[in-house]
Amino acid sequence: MNITSTRLEGTYYDGKIPIARPALLVFDNNEVTLTSGDTTLTYALHKLHVSPRVGNTDRFISLSDSGQYQCTDQPILDQLPQEVRSEGLVAWFENRMSVAVASVGIIICALFIGYFYGMPLVAKSMIKRIPIETEASLGNHILTWFDDSQWFNESHIDQDQQGSIMNKFNKLHQGLSMSPNIKLEFRNSERIGPNAFALPGGTIVITDQIVDIAESEEEVLAILAHEIGHAERRHSIRQILQGSFAALAATTITADAASLSTAVTGLPVILARTKYSRDFEREADDFAFDLLKRNHISTEAFASIMERLAKDSGSIEKLSFVSTHPVTSKRIKRAREFNNKESD
Amino acid sequence: MKNNLIFNNLNMLKDKPNKEGKDELIQQQGMQLEFSGSAKEYFRIWIVNLCLTIITFGFFSAWAKVRKKRYFYSNLTLDGTPFQYLAQPITILKGRIIAAILFLMYYSSTHYFTTMLPYVLVAGLIIAPWVIVRSVAFNARYSAYRNMTFRFDGTYVESFRVIYAWGIIPAIAVGTIFNWWGIYWAAGIAYAVFAILFPWWVRNLKNFIVTKTSYGGHFGQFSASGNYFFQVYLVSVFITFGFGLITTIIVRFFEMEGMPYSNIIFIMPIYAGYVFAYAYVQTKITNTVWNQIRLGPLRFRCTLNSFEMAELYLTNAIGIIASAGFLIPWAVIRTYKYRTDNTHVINMTELKEFRASETETVQAAGAEMTEFFDMDLSI
Repeated sequence: MNITSTRLEGTYYDGKIPIARPALLVFDNNEVTLTSGDTTLTYALHKLHVSPRVGNTDRFISLSDSGQYQCTDQPILDQLPQEVRSEGLVAWFENRMSVAVASVGIIICALFIGYFYGMPLVAKSMIKRIPIETEASLGNHILTWFDDSQWFNESHIDQDQQGSIMNKFNKLHQGLSMSPNIKLEFRNSERIGPNAFALPGGTIVITDQIVDIAESEEEVLAILAHEIGHAERRHSIRQILQGSFAALAATTITADAASLSTAVTGLPVILARTKYSRDFEREADDFAFDLLKRNHISTEAFASIMERLAKDSGSIEKLSFVSTHPVTSKRIKRAREFNNKESD
Repeated sequence: MKNNLIFNNLNMLKDKPNKEGKDELIQQQGMQLEFSGSAKEYFRIWIVNLCLTIITFGFFSAWAKVRKKRYFYSNLTLDGTPFQYLAQPITILKGRIIAAILFLMYYSSTHYFTTMLPYVLVAGLIIAPWVIVRSVAFNARYSAYRNMTFRFDGTYVESFRVIYAWGIIPAIAVGTIFNWWGIYWAAGIAYAVFAILFPWWVRNLKNFIVTKTSYGGHFGQFSASGNYFFQVYLVSVFITFGFGLITTIIVRFFEMEGMPYSNIIFIMPIYAGYVFAYAYVQTKITNTVWNQIRLGPLRFRCTLNSFEMAELYLTNAIGIIASAGFLIPWAVIRTYKYRTDNTHVINMTELKEFRASETETVQAAGAEMTEFFDMDLSI
């Protein structure tokens, strides 16, 4: 396309005062002439710079003095030197509905793959590089915090019973790769109630309340087997890593809406974190079932204590997609199914 | 006390020029401010840039930022001329990399290496005033209207003084670092003093930004008082408590404890109260700030409405959640449009009063860091 003798109507700004002047730009070979009122200015064509295309808004041509020329967007402007060349291509993409539709597909695929395979894989390979000592010091930090702030108190369980559980617990995790790091701590906690935790680094905490609620030591061991599963697979540290990735991804996607509502940006992170958490719970359950079987403990012990815990807390099944744990009745069902399958 | 305050608030509204007077001024000397962006068009820009950002693991985000900023600037016209965003993607990228490194240090010290946290916090306190000055200066420098850029001349020392004026924030930070808050009353007093002084602190920060920003040789003038800011924040506290009280009464009255999904039922009105209080603060502060700014021959009138803002926030949230995020561009555009429709620029004399001066470049790092740490300093 020849741009010689092309005429562009627009507005001229001299860069000294903010006054808009109607003007005319005429192209001629390697030069361009600007006429505005009594002013006539001539510029070399290659010294002009055109601002990037944005939607269908006006574009600006920077003149080689401090002046600037504003006109409606037209194809001829693409033949002049561009201010930011890389944006030309982006603008070309932005103006096509087909590209937008393709983008939707690519984003959904990328998020899907990254979420289900990418992030867990990266987290898995990353934890290999995190020394267990670093992880353990993080775990100790957490335990100290809970102790100091009175969430945990000294255990009331008598020494004999503690010793007995400890012995069976040690036998249970014997031979696992994390075994040298796995420790058991007894704590009393009225505030938390019957519960058990696997802290980063292999420390497992069990509350007196869960020992009290259990009708046999096998039931306590069933719960501990589940926590050993978390420890062996290093779920705590993976949860922290995967949660961080999810937060980063969600922040990127919802950046535009951040100023509109914090609830909107917080929600996807919660959903992502709880989904990972449920996956870990399921993995730990499966691990526990196998471990119990190898130690000749029936998974019925797991089912019965879970049933009692659910009944005691009197909780109604929460919406499963915002819960950190899978629905309890399903976990109990899986434990019983495992038991039946094994006894067949 | 409560009634009195709300009443004062209504009186304050009346103190401003009455509606007819205001309209007259806007009609006679108002410059047309218009936003012509559309949700459909912005959706394409948003999705394409988001896609490129994701598949390049974030590197493209510098381009995405520039493209989106350009869209909003280019579609905002004052007296027929669009605003211009002049920053280039490479400059932004440079700043982003620095910001990302700092953010990583901050994040890992709060999540993994907690023993490092005190040092990181102290370093953060020292660089915060610099981050603010750099980012405001960057935004001003790369924003132009009619071929003339804005300027920000605040210095690190001034910024440091404004942010840490009463030493409250450093006191709280240092107290947190050395774990002084085991003594509960000390922590209580520190936070109470901070809560009471917070409105004046916000006012001073806005004042600093406005009065050090200039266009065409004229610096902004700011006449908003800290008392007004205080009342706005106090009313927002009453709103939040009010909704909480209503929720408690309903729950007790209907004996709803233990009902299925009861947690969600309790949270809804409290969340609504929070949204409304947030909308109220945003609306009142934005209105006051703009109404009390003068820039050379220019005056501003901002007429946002708390109820309309709350409605916008709520419908935005519902739309975004229901569409799994695909309505984000729609939400952003309609909010921007509402704000533009309720902002008026009045030209008292002539724009010729503005005269350009020499310009200089400002490093982009500052601007990027505030965005990363989500410190919204917009006025």
